[in-house]
Amino acid sequence: MKNLKYILVLGCLFVALTATAQSQSSMRLNEILLHNTTDFQDDFGQHNAWIELFNESYGTVDIGGCYLTNDPNNLKKYIIPKGDVITKIKPRQHTLFWADNNPYHGTFHTNFTIEAGQEILFVSSDGRTVVDRIVVPEMGENESFGRLKDGEGAIDGSQQGWHITNWTSPSTNNSGVDEESKSEKMRETDPYGWILSITAMSVVFLALIILAMLFKLTGRISIKNANKKTAKTVSITGKEIQIDATDIAGETYAAIAMALHLYNEQNSSHDEESLVVTMAHTDRSYSPWSSKIYTLRQTPIVNKNKK
Amino acid sequence: MNTIIENLQQFWQYTGFANCNYQYLLMIAIGILFIYLAIAKEWEPMLLVPIGFGIIIGNIPLFQGLQVGIYEEGSVLNILYQGVRQGFYPPLIFLGIGAMTDFSALISNPKLLLIGGACQFGIFGAYAIALAIGFSPAEAGAIGIIGGADGPTAIFLSSRLAPDLMGAIAVSAYSYMALVPVIQPPIMRLLTTDKERLIRMKPPRAVSPTEKKIFPIVGFLLTAFIVPSGIPLLGMLFFGNLIKESGVTRRLAETARGPLVDIVTMLIGLTVGCSTQADKFIQWNSIKIFLLGALSFVIATAAGVLFVKFFNLFLKEGNKINPLIGNSGVSAVPDSARVSNTVGLKYDNKNYLLMHAMGPNVAGVIGSAVAAGILLGFLA
Repeated sequence: MKNLKYILVLGCLFVALTATAQSQSSMRLNEILLHNTTDFQDDFGQHNAWIELFNESYGTVDIGGCYLTNDPNNLKKYIIPKGDVITKIKPRQHTLFWADNNPYHGTFHTNFTIEAGQEILFVSSDGRTVVDRIVVPEMGENESFGRLKDGEGAIDGSQQGWHITNWTSPSTNNSGVDEESKSEKMRETDPYGWILSITAMSVVFLALIILAMLFKLTGRISIKNANKKTAKTVSITGKEIQIDATDIAGETYAAIAMALHLYNEQNSSHDEESLVVTMAHTDRSYSPWSSKIYTLRQTPIVNKNKK
Repeated sequence: MNTIIENLQQFWQYTGFANCNYQYLLMIAIGILFIYLAIAKEWEPMLLVPIGFGIIIGNIPLFQGLQVGIYEEGSVLNILYQGVRQGFYPPLIFLGIGAMTDFSALISNPKLLLIGGACQFGIFGAYAIALAIGFSPAEAGAIGIIGGADGPTAIFLSSRLAPDLMGAIAVSAYSYMALVPVIQPPIMRLLTTDKERLIRMKPPRAVSPTEKKIFPIVGFLLTAFIVPSGIPLLGMLFFGNLIKESGVTRRLAETARGPLVDIVTMLIGLTVGCSTQADKFIQWNSIKIFLLGALSFVIATAAGVLFVKFFNLFLKEGNKINPLIGNSGVSAVPDSARVSNTVGLKYDNKNYLLMHAMGPNVAGVIGSAVAAGILLGFLA
């Protein structure tokens, strides 16, 4: 039992630790631009190379304390400042770093520049775990190298799922800003709503039919088990008979309950608290969460002298 | 003297009288009507009293910028409204519903689950009509869910699909839930024959505690695997039921079905009422939503009754289902089941349908949560 507790504590610890790591591991290098002449410019009006990161998870990720580098042998080249609220990247959102070797321009300006052939790495806050890496190919002016779809594709530097994009999309979706919402798509594919209605009703019925079948089955098993447990008793003729609990009608239970109730009523004219006949199971095993039971209620005192 | 007059004039600008127009007065009158219906007619008082008073609170004409209105960021009402806006009140209510619902009627006669499925036609019927009259698919989905007769689900879905219509959808859903005893009986009578109304159903078998414990776990796993987007509602519903049936978490179950659900019901009712601020609420769309909501209830009720009649074609004599319980597949628990019982007793004063009707009634809760999950998956 003691071992089990230790295992549980260790398990919780493991989950907590991996959960932190997991959130940073949701960050992806998403798009990179090398030669910026007329593209997006920074807050200082300068055209510089940029690296776009994308949070592919559905939770906010704080990248403060993580690292960006263009040197696989120096994973801690640029530390993203901690404690800055703008390093908290919202779910499915992008952020842009300027590779301008000008870290004094702010949080999002790295202390290195990038060139074709270099490998760009995003490293988690432990300074060892490489979350994502990509080798930057040669590209033309104002062309960018990005993932086909945000966050999707290789994270081992193999360039699978990456391409030279037709248009740059700093801080926004790579797969097209004009992507239609599900609702708009639905309007085109199903203008009268019949397809969705039929699909949805089929799913609702499917779920309920499976549930019904499952409980039909468990019901049968339960009845079978109940039949096995039929009580044996002796009738007034002295013959042993079997009673099937499932054959007893609700009215019989009601009559028994009424008889017990009347019995209690008749015996409740004394001053001492009357006994309570109950079918409820009261388990008094000790637990700090249920210990109130001992302090709030005392076991009724049975007056043995009373007849 | 001039300063005093100027101050008084300035103060006048702050008052509700100076900012009032007929729209606010109309909404306040609606709020009072809700409270009257709740007290005098006892139509869903737990919902209509908070909503009615919420409508009054939300329609006090305000001088903007006082940081008190429900739509003003950071105001107390706005903070309370986040439970609706972000959709975390509805799952908490589902937790309470799970902890107070006895699924025995359903477990003992699982085929009644299908009636709960049939009533979801109300959702998709209203969805198709809403599309036809010009709502976007996401808006139509949010409006259609009114037909599920499930206030928390309607709020949850509309907060995701059509936040701008949420006030009208929520008020419409809760109003029609209160009107179940008025809407359903004529449809039930219209679609059934005298002979069908007299059908007596077999008494449900006794359900073992083990079956009751298994139900929430298996029920959740199955429905959540099929419709993962319904996890917030289904998870809380079945979790609530597990703490009720497990037998070892009585205190948790009592809190969930008592104080917790009461607090959340008050907050959800009040804030939904407040959200019907006249300038945002009195629009043609709101009127359309109310009409579509009524229509969806009618379709859902008719679908449930007709489905039972159809189902009876395949059932042996003695196993047939009384079509008067078909209406209870809409998940207004337990009002629609009570309607089945009341209408049934009118035709046979010894035919108590309540326990039978509770089966499809709770199946409706599961069905509407699944339907909401599907709409969320397709349209969000």
